[in-house]
Amino acid sequence: MADSAAPGESEPSLNVEQHLKYWKRCLRSPLPHVYLGNEGNRMALAYFIINSISILSPPRTEPATGDQPKSPPLITSEERRRMREWVLAHQHPGGGFSGTSSLVFPLHDYEEWDFDADAPTQEGSGLANIAATLFALQLLALLVDDEEDEETAEGAFRGVDRVQTLRWLKKLQRPDGSFGEVLMKMPGHGWFIGGGYDMRYCYIAAAVRWMLRGDVQQGQPGWVEDFDTVGFTKYILRSQTYDGGFAGSSQDEPHAGYAYCAISALSLLDRPLEGSPALHPSKILRVGIRSMPALTHWLASRQFVYLEPPATQNEEEEDDPVNFLLPSSLDDLALDDKLQHFAFNGRCNKVADTCYCWWVCAALANLGCMDAMVQRGPSRRFLLDKMQHMIGGFGKYPGSPPDLYHGCFGLMILGVMGESGIREVDSALAVPVETVKRMEKARRGLLRRAGEEGKPGAFGREMVELGLELCGERPGWLVAVGR
Amino acid sequence: MPPKGKAAPKPKGTENIKPSTSSSNSTSSPAAQQPTTSTSPSGNTPTAPSTIGERSQQRFHESRPFDAARQKLGLSGLSQAEQTGWVSSQLAARSSTSTGSSRRTTPRLGPKAQRELWRHVNDASLPIRTLKNKKSAPTPADVWGTDRAGQKIAGYSIARYEERAAKRTALTALQVTSRAFREARERAKRGLVVTRDHREQPIVLVESAKDVQEEKQRRRQMAALRRELYGEMTGEFRQDPEWDGVEPIPQVEPEAALATISYPEEYAEAISYLRAVMLQKEYSPRCLRLTDHIISMNAAHYTVWLYRAANVFALQLPIPDEIDWLNGVALANLKNYQIWHHRHLLVDNYYPTLASGPPSTLSRFADSEREFLSAILAHDTKNYHVWSYRSYLVSKLGLFDAAEIAAMAALIGDDVRNNSAWSHRFFVVFSDPRQSTPGTAATDADPAVPREVVDREAQYAMDKIYLAPQNQSAWNYLRGVLVKGGRGMRSVEGFVSEFVRGLGEGEEREDVLSTHALDLLAEICKEKGERERADLCLRRLGEKWDRIRVGYWEWRRRCLDDGQ
Repeated sequence: MADSAAPGESEPSLNVEQHLKYWKRCLRSPLPHVYLGNEGNRMALAYFIINSISILSPPRTEPATGDQPKSPPLITSEERRRMREWVLAHQHPGGGFSGTSSLVFPLHDYEEWDFDADAPTQEGSGLANIAATLFALQLLALLVDDEEDEETAEGAFRGVDRVQTLRWLKKLQRPDGSFGEVLMKMPGHGWFIGGGYDMRYCYIAAAVRWMLRGDVQQGQPGWVEDFDTVGFTKYILRSQTYDGGFAGSSQDEPHAGYAYCAISALSLLDRPLEGSPALHPSKILRVGIRSMPALTHWLASRQFVYLEPPATQNEEEEDDPVNFLLPSSLDDLALDDKLQHFAFNGRCNKVADTCYCWWVCAALANLGCMDAMVQRGPSRRFLLDKMQHMIGGFGKYPGSPPDLYHGCFGLMILGVMGESGIREVDSALAVPVETVKRMEKARRGLLRRAGEEGKPGAFGREMVELGLELCGERPGWLVAVGR
Repeated sequence: MPPKGKAAPKPKGTENIKPSTSSSNSTSSPAAQQPTTSTSPSGNTPTAPSTIGERSQQRFHESRPFDAARQKLGLSGLSQAEQTGWVSSQLAARSSTSTGSSRRTTPRLGPKAQRELWRHVNDASLPIRTLKNKKSAPTPADVWGTDRAGQKIAGYSIARYEERAAKRTALTALQVTSRAFREARERAKRGLVVTRDHREQPIVLVESAKDVQEEKQRRRQMAALRRELYGEMTGEFRQDPEWDGVEPIPQVEPEAALATISYPEEYAEAISYLRAVMLQKEYSPRCLRLTDHIISMNAAHYTVWLYRAANVFALQLPIPDEIDWLNGVALANLKNYQIWHHRHLLVDNYYPTLASGPPSTLSRFADSEREFLSAILAHDTKNYHVWSYRSYLVSKLGLFDAAEIAAMAALIGDDVRNNSAWSHRFFVVFSDPRQSTPGTAATDADPAVPREVVDREAQYAMDKIYLAPQNQSAWNYLRGVLVKGGRGMRSVEGFVSEFVRGLGEGEEREDVLSTHALDLLAEICKEKGERERADLCLRRLGEKWDRIRVGYWEWRRRCLDDGQ
């Protein structure tokens, strides 16, 4: 790899301890008021926190050397158990998970829910959200990460109503193949699929399908009808734009986040169910993309050389979020020998932002092009020198205070690039590679139990059983306990 | 023995036997420790109490004359008159408060002694009731307890205490009136009214807006008083008669809840009401106002927006009114996604009405939408959600017109690097159903696009490239136009070559004005089968002109060999 480090300058390092400190603070104390805007998506925030802590935790394969006492786990197994309970409490009887506790109602309010019905007969859906469902599943897998015994690992998705969730997922698909985020009854419109034309929902649908569906054949217990993968693929492929990128549709401006989602969704669609890395010979991806040269061209073009803002900072530190300049002419840069910091933007002629390091590089990784097209050294240097905050975490822009979203995405892309001292991250499922293995085991566990019970209505019993196992008694606040 | 208190507190008191209730010259006595300075150090006039605690203390001692002195000196230390006074007051107090049990323990006096006693009591104007000491209150002043700030109420000045008492009375009065309002409303609901002789009679009772307004006012006052007196917080909704009958569902968080957010009580209360009405599937003007209130605090809560849309549709509210309201919210929340999705929903619903009306209705609506879009884009010319909505609007209302293209030209004129405007222009030009094949992919050629349109757009892009040769937006556009028109890249070879001089002729002579030109030149060479020159272009990009992407250019070179 041609890492052009300036001679004599030592490479910056990832301050794992400082990052952990930041994340532990986010875990232990209530988040400040600035996060109120995310009150509807708390499951996402929870995923950022637990995922980051997981990436930063020492690999569990490391054997304790000699009689050196094992350091206490960052999150005790008792805490993990109760956090899993919290996650499961957001499961909706009609399938899927709610994004926030403020949409979880006391159990008795669901009493009229028809658990065994194929379609929810009652109104009051619209509480489960497709994004929250992915985050909840990721959390459940992350929260058993450190368990030692295989039996527990197989139970990561225990309590998840696989059948109902997959059926609900299918109902979120629109006739054109795209996905919405919620299903609700809208006065005058009947059942209504809410949400914009957003490639993120497609990615999430593919990820949830990969985690839960398995390869059960029709007629066997646990089989659930698949969503329309042909229409799905067509929708995504049609959304490539004239300049090679992807958007919510081809009539919109391409965006790196959507490009990542389009690529990863297609890749997850035929990703082998067991033992496969994020990069696999995806036929859909290779054959399907209308213009692969244009796509790689567009992705590669998202990199640019980050220039320090001119030194006019004798004044007090300004709060200006765009506290850096874009090069006025890339021509000058081409001649510059000190190519030190490579940044990424999400759209043509836009500014650098930590999360685009993830969206662009992880998209290239899923295409198998990251190593060839991204220079690791200067990209890593940009993240660590410019985006890493002294109190831990990563900010959105150089000098920004850290936040959960960018903090997590910064760590994830370092994990994909193979940063030492942190866990390797799966560039398609956005969790540590070990967690993906847990997901595979968890799916196996779900399918095995489905085979044993064979009835979709067993969900209620499952939950009660789980409650008993977890608490020793039927937990009253647990929402989705069946009758 | 302290000097006898010569000055009786009461004008008609028997001065000679009135004891001093202060032991001013023996400050160590227990009586002196009590905050009683009912008489001045001179021992003659009682000071007016400054706090209600002092007043209590004074009254306590006034009801127990001789007590302080007796406690200090013992009964035998008192003068004859004082002894008589003390015994008389004891007996008087006993007999006046005597209950069954005390009567049994109190020695009965004979008639003569009784007369003697009462005469004495009357002469000396002795108190016939004794204030009792409560077990929970070690001193008489302690009975007042503390207020919400933890301050002893005993320390209140008389005036302050009276003010507080007045407020409590006012609160009680308000509560009574408010209860009457609720009961009247309850009866009105049942269609009953109470007649003067307290019978309920059926009647249709219409609650006037004035009544509700007054009740609102009343509850505001009550809430203020409760907060002031007892520190109780009464939420906005509890104060609002409109929300009577809705039992809020507060959120309960388990101990291990993740990602809790510290938010104000006001938000928590509003959400607890939202939960209640959502569960009841209530669609009403008050629900609409509730969503407005929550959105003003958190505009990013998608569920609130969906619930708002449900209300708008259920109540069949005029869509233009909702859009008017939305304009204000959009200007206050520039980065918000939900607002634009909501607008999308509204227009989807409004469209049948628009389409069935005269054409002027639709064009008027289109104009007002475009006007607002210009206003909001002036704040952020690259706002992704606004652009998404704009492309939706164009396809929904069929706005593939000169005005839309002119609007893009104006934005690109302002900032030639505005990629959003370039993107939108491409969509408007090449998806116009009058001159394109519906369903053609953006990356595919479309024979339905007229030749002059391709020429015009290619020329437009080239003009803009001259202004800023390194602006990739314009280069991408040019390539896109050529693909759409089914033209080879080679059709612009002459133009591209203007930006690349002396390629491969040595450092001195080689000059590249745009890496994108060199990139496109590589494509042109490949297209023409000039493999070596294509390879040279790509090599020079990686070696010198665009080193950041050296890996990419090397990959492209390998692709030349793979025949891709």
